[in-house]
Amino acid sequence: MWLHILKFELQYRSKRPATYIYFGILFLMAFLAITTDVVTIGGGAGLVKENAPLTIANMMVILSAFMMMITSAIMGVGVLRDFEHNTESLMFSNPISKYDYLIGRFLGSYIVTVFAFSGVLLGFMLGEFMPWRDADKLLPFNSWNYLHPFIYFVLPNLFFTGVLFFFTGALSRKMMVVYIQWIVLFVLYQTTVILTREIDNRALAGILDPFSLRTIGNATQYWTVAEQNTMTVPIEGTVLINRLLWLGIGILIAIVGSISFSFNVVKNSWFKKKSKGEEEVSKTNIEVPQIQLQLGLSTYLMQIWKQAVFYFKYVVRGIPFLAISLFGLVLMITNSFFIGRVFGTYTYPTTALILELITGGFTVFFIVIIVFYSGELIWRERDVKINLIQDSLPIPDFVGLISKFLGMIMVFTVMLFGLMLSGVLIQAFRGYYEFNLGVYFTTLFTETMSVLILFTLLGFFIQVMVNNKFLGHAVMIVFFIVSIVLEVVGVEHGLFQFGSGDLGPYSDMNGFGHFVTSFSWFDLYWLAFTVFLFALSVVFAVRGAEAAMKWRWHIGKLRLTKPLLTFGFTAFCVFGLSGCYIYYNTNVLNGYANSDELEALQADYERAYKQYEYLPQPKVTSVNMKVELYPETRDYVASGYYILENQEDEPISDVHVQLQIGKDYHYDYVRFGRESKIKEAADRFKYYIHELDEPLLPGDTTLLEFKMRFETLGFKETAEATAVLHNGTFFNNTEFPSIGYAAAAELSSDDDRKDNDLEPKDRMLPRDDKRGLSRNFLTDDSNGIDFEIVIGTSYDQIAIAPGYLQRQWQEKDRNYFHYQMEEQMMPFFSIVSADYEVMKDKMSIRVDSIQKEIDLEIYYHDGHEYNLASMMEAMKKSFDYFSTHFSPYQYRQMRILEFPRYASFAQSFANTVPFSEGIGFMIEVEDEDDVDVSYFVTAHELAHQWWGHQLFPADVQGSAVLTESLAQYSALMVMKQVYTQDHMQEFLKEELNRYLRGRSREQKKELPLVLAENQNYIHYGKGANIMFTLQDYVGEDSVNAALRRLLNDWGGQKGLDQEGRYATTIDLMGYIRDVTPDSMQNMVTDMFEKIVLFENKLESATYAETENGFKVAIELDVQKVEADSIGYTHNVEVNDWIDVGVYAENDEGDEVLVYLKKHKISERTTSILVETEKEPVRVGIDPLYKLIDRNPDDNIKSVNKSEEAI
Amino acid sequence: MELQIKNLSKTYANGVQALKDVSLQIPKGMFGLLGPNGAGKSSLMRTIATLQEPDTGTIHLGDIDVLKEKDEVRKVLGYLPQEFGVYPRVSAETLLDHLAVLKGIANGKERKELVEALLHKTNLWGARKKNLGGYSGGMKQRFGIAQALISSPRLIIVDEPTAGLDPAERNRFLNLLSELGENTVVILSTHIVDDVKELCTNMAIINRGEVMLEGNPLKTIDAIQGKVWSKGVEKFELEDYKHQHTVISERLIAGKPEIHVFADEQPDPSFESLKADLEDVYFSKIFGEVEAAPEAIVNQ
Repeated sequence: MWLHILKFELQYRSKRPATYIYFGILFLMAFLAITTDVVTIGGGAGLVKENAPLTIANMMVILSAFMMMITSAIMGVGVLRDFEHNTESLMFSNPISKYDYLIGRFLGSYIVTVFAFSGVLLGFMLGEFMPWRDADKLLPFNSWNYLHPFIYFVLPNLFFTGVLFFFTGALSRKMMVVYIQWIVLFVLYQTTVILTREIDNRALAGILDPFSLRTIGNATQYWTVAEQNTMTVPIEGTVLINRLLWLGIGILIAIVGSISFSFNVVKNSWFKKKSKGEEEVSKTNIEVPQIQLQLGLSTYLMQIWKQAVFYFKYVVRGIPFLAISLFGLVLMITNSFFIGRVFGTYTYPTTALILELITGGFTVFFIVIIVFYSGELIWRERDVKINLIQDSLPIPDFVGLISKFLGMIMVFTVMLFGLMLSGVLIQAFRGYYEFNLGVYFTTLFTETMSVLILFTLLGFFIQVMVNNKFLGHAVMIVFFIVSIVLEVVGVEHGLFQFGSGDLGPYSDMNGFGHFVTSFSWFDLYWLAFTVFLFALSVVFAVRGAEAAMKWRWHIGKLRLTKPLLTFGFTAFCVFGLSGCYIYYNTNVLNGYANSDELEALQADYERAYKQYEYLPQPKVTSVNMKVELYPETRDYVASGYYILENQEDEPISDVHVQLQIGKDYHYDYVRFGRESKIKEAADRFKYYIHELDEPLLPGDTTLLEFKMRFETLGFKETAEATAVLHNGTFFNNTEFPSIGYAAAAELSSDDDRKDNDLEPKDRMLPRDDKRGLSRNFLTDDSNGIDFEIVIGTSYDQIAIAPGYLQRQWQEKDRNYFHYQMEEQMMPFFSIVSADYEVMKDKMSIRVDSIQKEIDLEIYYHDGHEYNLASMMEAMKKSFDYFSTHFSPYQYRQMRILEFPRYASFAQSFANTVPFSEGIGFMIEVEDEDDVDVSYFVTAHELAHQWWGHQLFPADVQGSAVLTESLAQYSALMVMKQVYTQDHMQEFLKEELNRYLRGRSREQKKELPLVLAENQNYIHYGKGANIMFTLQDYVGEDSVNAALRRLLNDWGGQKGLDQEGRYATTIDLMGYIRDVTPDSMQNMVTDMFEKIVLFENKLESATYAETENGFKVAIELDVQKVEADSIGYTHNVEVNDWIDVGVYAENDEGDEVLVYLKKHKISERTTSILVETEKEPVRVGIDPLYKLIDRNPDDNIKSVNKSEEAI
Repeated sequence: MELQIKNLSKTYANGVQALKDVSLQIPKGMFGLLGPNGAGKSSLMRTIATLQEPDTGTIHLGDIDVLKEKDEVRKVLGYLPQEFGVYPRVSAETLLDHLAVLKGIANGKERKELVEALLHKTNLWGARKKNLGGYSGGMKQRFGIAQALISSPRLIIVDEPTAGLDPAERNRFLNLLSELGENTVVILSTHIVDDVKELCTNMAIINRGEVMLEGNPLKTIDAIQGKVWSKGVEKFELEDYKHQHTVISERLIAGKPEIHVFADEQPDPSFESLKADLEDVYFSKIFGEVEAAPEAIVNQ
């Protein structure tokens, strides 16, 4: 019987155009996604091919998840058709069993769904053969790469979601309930995304994701480029569990759903209230009073108000609204547990962070509500068919739309208050009571509310014009997609990006800052635009029975009353004029270029002047400047001079000077200490070649004098200019004129270079390149400078630059500070100014048995006291450790300066460390066990006073190892004094993750540590792990001795003076090898000079009791692989010392390591026996993850008690 | 005040001509608009109710140009559409109050009195707190008339109000209509002849968008008196009779067909003379026109 129903279903569907439309949509989307740049969403960027199996799998799963609406349409309709067409009584009175009915209908709908989604498969496959595909980015065609994800991911996803939609539809008999399942699935998916942020939760996230997007993501997170290009996602481990889990849940839903499904016509739905009747007699002979209509403004206002309240109640009582809001809130609260997580540490839930949570995480729910309810409200009367009654009432045409709009505003107001309350509760729950209600209000009721207003009015307009609810929804979604596409193709300007007003991040230091201005104008612009659309909506709104555009225009003309015309015209004028004003500011005053134009500019610059990259130029040996900062207007005036010295062997007559492009920079003069003329002026690039009348002879010096003004002109299209601020100015010397060609301005990504017809470029010079060896890692402008600066700023701010304060005075209501550095320093300086509180302390270090006093200062924003003590402590511990083990601290002062959270980093300048408000000042260290990030970052930055300010590496491969990896190591050593081994390992796990994730996204080639080319994941992530392991294997003292020698021989100008070059990792390796015992030399080679990974696994462990303790028998499986630059691996022989550890419970019941020793492992499988005093609980190989292991989860296992003696 | 409709024509986008040059004079009092389903009644009603635009033609209500001064019409209009819905989870009292606000009755006290009176009047007082979703068809129609009567309209349009009502509800509804003031133009469209017979002083019969007849019901009956004949026939003879005579209606009486035939003379002796009623007028206009309907009647 069910076969009959199935056949009927298939026959019916095969005649429905919708079936083919769905297929067509999916085919087209897949085809377009794979053949355009969208393909990068799936990972196909850089070296990963566009048709790499993993890219295809990702794209396919993303598409099938996003196109869930088609599944719900097919599956939901399959069961709801009878109810919607009221044919259920015909159907159900037939002699069929409900199981036959359900099975037939379900299978039929499922087959149709699969048919529709085969469009994805075909679209992808066909897309591969399109002639415009770039052959370099494609692997040979392999149909299995397409079939594999379709079979293992798409089909089960369709099954599970299909079952869900089908049975929720069958049981509720409402399409709305089916749609709500989207939200449920979305929230579930989002939860797994949130979970994924914590390394330890990734397996769980992988299992829970109903679409298995995160499952694939987390299972392949460490895949190298080569693996991504060659392997399909293996169906094992979490992937297998995930697939089985959701298939199982699907089957369970089907069973429970079938049993609960009632074949009864009368029982209508889950949601229906019984109304109670009461009888009172009507007086039918009553006289109906005669009442005059009072038509006028006050009545209209009352009508608007009453209607608005009516719509408001309708929305907030609706199940979709409640469901969407509830899920949004649940997601937000889940998310709130992870906000501000930095390296496994919490940040205080400041209002700014909570607001980002709201505006970031909840926006999609707002959008869903707007898309859905703009349709519902516009169609409200027509849906209940009361429209003809209401349309014939003497209400003005605008009342209906305005009251609908107002109803939505009421809904949003309630939601925003609800969100604000939830935000405050989240803060209170976390024990943070600095509720900044003003900031809540300002952000939510300006930025958020205006976005909501814009999209509501747009939604209304679309619904009115399209005049078909579902088409209207679709047009809205297309609108969103088009906006994104426009941005991708270069239409990025805020004048074309709907709702582009952006209030920017809120900073405690700088408040909303200068973002308010551009936000207000863009907001006004778009508001006026949507208000104009609203006027059009009033004209074209359907009233009565005429829906054809011709008639709507005919009727609409009657509505063009003077007030409406004035209203619409005013809106249009405001739109036009504010647009002009914005254009004037962004394009005329400031000049505007989209990203393609900027790239083209960079490419042209490279083509024109790359020839001068290694041209001998004089070096800056001294900087003397005066900088007047005007925080109120965000301007500055800088004047002063550089002393240039010819350090080459030949005379120099041409000096190349690079100035800042951008209309806000003005140069009053740039001149030399001797006569010169401009030989070539490239104003487009601000690149000027000055010819000195009298060449600069070797050893000769001259001045480069300049005066420049930075003037903030109106506002820019991108509000990113955060250098000069009302409070919290922070910029560095790259603002000022530099010498010679700026290679840093070149396009770096090979994809961008290709777009601009440039050859791919090497990131760094090899370690033996003379040109690289002769210049330092920061700049080729200078080998070190004398530095002196006077900074003027507003009366309430303190300005700070490297050097020691010489004098401080007030003049014309402004504060002035004069700084001078006593010795030569790196040509790298910062200028900072803000309204600061200051914390001061002192410490002393021993230098050659003499005590040297060091002043410690933290300049912070009032209210940000939380981490000051810990930072101060970190400074003391760091200086103490570094001065003892490496070399004495070269300065007698250190200052940490807080700057606004527009950027999240800290940076080390001579005796100065600007430190972002966002990363170190609001860390919440809950208990002693948490790793304190502000402590670590402080130690890291202070370590740069040695690694970067005492030792300047050469500008060749591996330079960042000498700065960053060594700073990581130094900071870890400071931490090691305070934290236990377990905590260190927790911390290093994040760095290991950074390395393994980073290499899977490598765009060019992975290199061994010593050759790293400014690859963060290598010099920070791998560097920290390798250096930590090194000191564990060869001893902390030995490593420190090596570093001490390195500094001793290469610190300051020693290398340049004695060897004529800067230090490289070759030098570092020499010192390390010197302190490494022979047995460990191979290990050092593996760690530093090769890409070697371990695959350590504890096969099994059993233990037995003996007279004086326990014996543990351990089976190990150890593999070692060596990878090439794109991740092709081959096994290499294991011959290494690896930790074996045994955990037992201590007296407090905590698990601790009671045995930890290195064992020499030289076979893949090894059995070893160890003895412990306490009863073992778990056993692990490399239990502290000292070696690089992509799959550390299998390193530790529980140990079983054996009855037999071992 | 009188409603004047002149040369109204309307063709829908799908090619259906809903109104063909319709002209009607509708005086005060109850005016019946009789016609089968799809005759164009609702199109005409909607056009008068400012909800639809004719291709050509004019409508005037007294001095008001209905097609242009829509708001003026709406102020004096009470309209009960053929099909309408209500918010299922709102009570009659609330919705009526809501509609009264939209009608323009701003004073809360007045509105309350009015709503209560209308609920009494339409015999819905007992069910005023009940959600409209639980109303029966008749109650819903009465609610519909209650809303149409808000603020004493001078033009009331009720479109097919009795369709689907049981006889008791229909009587109750017609009684309600009959009480409407004499100073009001009431247009009642229906396909049920008895509605018109019982209530209307004037009427028009409309079919396929054309006015077939306009006049006083009684006079129109007089005009065909003696021209309608009846005969009981066998089922198998039915087709023959239809070919030979202008059969305007057929019905079963105790399982046996009886036909009414329109003819100036008695077709043959087996036909009995019949006292014509409005139904015969109606059917003669709808089905009898094939055989050249007498001019006289049409223009009466």
